[in-house]
Amino acid sequence: MEDWAAELQQARPDAAWDLFVGRYRRLIFAAIRHYAQDYDDVMDVFARVCEALREDDLRRLRVYVRQSEHRARFSTWLVTVVRHLTVDWFRQRDGRRRLSAVAEGLPPLRRRIFEHVFLEHKSHVETFELLRAGEAPALTFRQFLAELRLTYKAVTDGRRGRLLRELGTAPPPETESDAATGAAAPETRAELERALDSLTAEDRAAVQLYVIDELPAEAVAKVVGLPNAKAVYNRVYRALAALRERLEQAGLRREDL
Amino acid sequence: MHGILEGGSRRVTKPDPLEPVRHGLRARAGSGAPTPECLDDDTIAALADGTLAPPTRAAVLPHVAGCARCRTAVASVARALADTGVAREVDSIEGGRRRIYRIALPVVAAAALLLVLVWPRPVDHDGLPHRAPPITASAVPVPLSPIGTVADAGVLRWTAVAGADRYRVTLSDAGGRVLHEMQVADTVVALPDSLVLVPGRSYVWLVEARIGFERWSVSRLVEFSIAGPPPP
Repeated sequence: MEDWAAELQQARPDAAWDLFVGRYRRLIFAAIRHYAQDYDDVMDVFARVCEALREDDLRRLRVYVRQSEHRARFSTWLVTVVRHLTVDWFRQRDGRRRLSAVAEGLPPLRRRIFEHVFLEHKSHVETFELLRAGEAPALTFRQFLAELRLTYKAVTDGRRGRLLRELGTAPPPETESDAATGAAAPETRAELERALDSLTAEDRAAVQLYVIDELPAEAVAKVVGLPNAKAVYNRVYRALAALRERLEQAGLRREDL
Repeated sequence: MHGILEGGSRRVTKPDPLEPVRHGLRARAGSGAPTPECLDDDTIAALADGTLAPPTRAAVLPHVAGCARCRTAVASVARALADTGVAREVDSIEGGRRRIYRIALPVVAAAALLLVLVWPRPVDHDGLPHRAPPITASAVPVPLSPIGTVADAGVLRWTAVAGADRYRVTLSDAGGRVLHEMQVADTVVALPDSLVLVPGRSYVWLVEARIGFERWSVSRLVEFSIAGPPPP
């Protein structure tokens, strides 16, 4: 048992905390820096992580220590907790800041897009459908995508990539061809969902982690329990071939997706 | 992303054939709102780390495949674990002990054997105290100075720990970046002139006392700054 855990079991949370921070401070900072690069952000998130872990006499750590069985290594569990706290911190800060400072300056349609995508974490297609069902019944998908891109530009100041993905918002479409493929998505989504649901859970998870989340094949292999990256390539290849065959049987071609 | 349907390099040199599928699947992703079935932190961590027992993995994969929130979390943690900085820290924490034993034990064993064979038998103990006379004897070293705002921080001092034969001092900036690390036998260490501490900026330090083979007791983390105007 680690010394900090022993102190915790002896109901000495302050001593446990000092030992815990001494041992894991660098890991916590490294995990935060994976998500945040700005110095002030890193320090603010570190303060938030410490505050959250110290809450209620180290409740999170006490619960972990009390568990009779652990599925993950403690360090991995800690990285997971730090990830959640970091994403929540950015979500709250950006939500508040963007809403007050940026979104209020947006035209009404873009402000609604901002609310759906960034605050309610709706997908782009869901957002489009909600707008069509509500205040913009004549909005075409192409017009929507143009507004979406402008909303992203205003909200993120061009910032893209890791943090946006972590915040649960997919990157905006890049090109007109993206717009074209996206435009067809609502009509073909049901068939795609049926095709995807025909796969086993393992295949579905592998396809989604590899294709949507763009996780390296080595990492996908760990998650779904395959022996190596090559096994992931084979599994995803076969699953996509099966998906394509099923979609073609339904009369959909790749260009329709 | 590498177009696995057509083989080739992972570098994108032409339109990715997976992009249409990606768009279609992302459209399916939905809002990812939490449900009672969503995975706990321990399970997310074990999935990302590949340590989940096969029966448990088989039980949770259907949820991962259907829940954008949990799948995103698993992918996010997996990416973080692959980050060089995170991997280095995890390795130093989790793997350090195993690595130390694997490498150091044969060396220590060989050294001990050599000592037994060639070391002259002790003839006298002169009664000298162990290292510096202790100011106090406690289970963990206690940082004495610098703490808080100080005029000068060229020297770090702490209390002795009974039985400790070595102390390891780590000085970091407030962002956690290690500025100086040193091992000494005394309870005081002078910082090198090459290390410039900026007045008004916060620094933290701690000291660890070696009380046995790879057994260290750790002081609390203390913060200090040098009096002066804050950095621009």
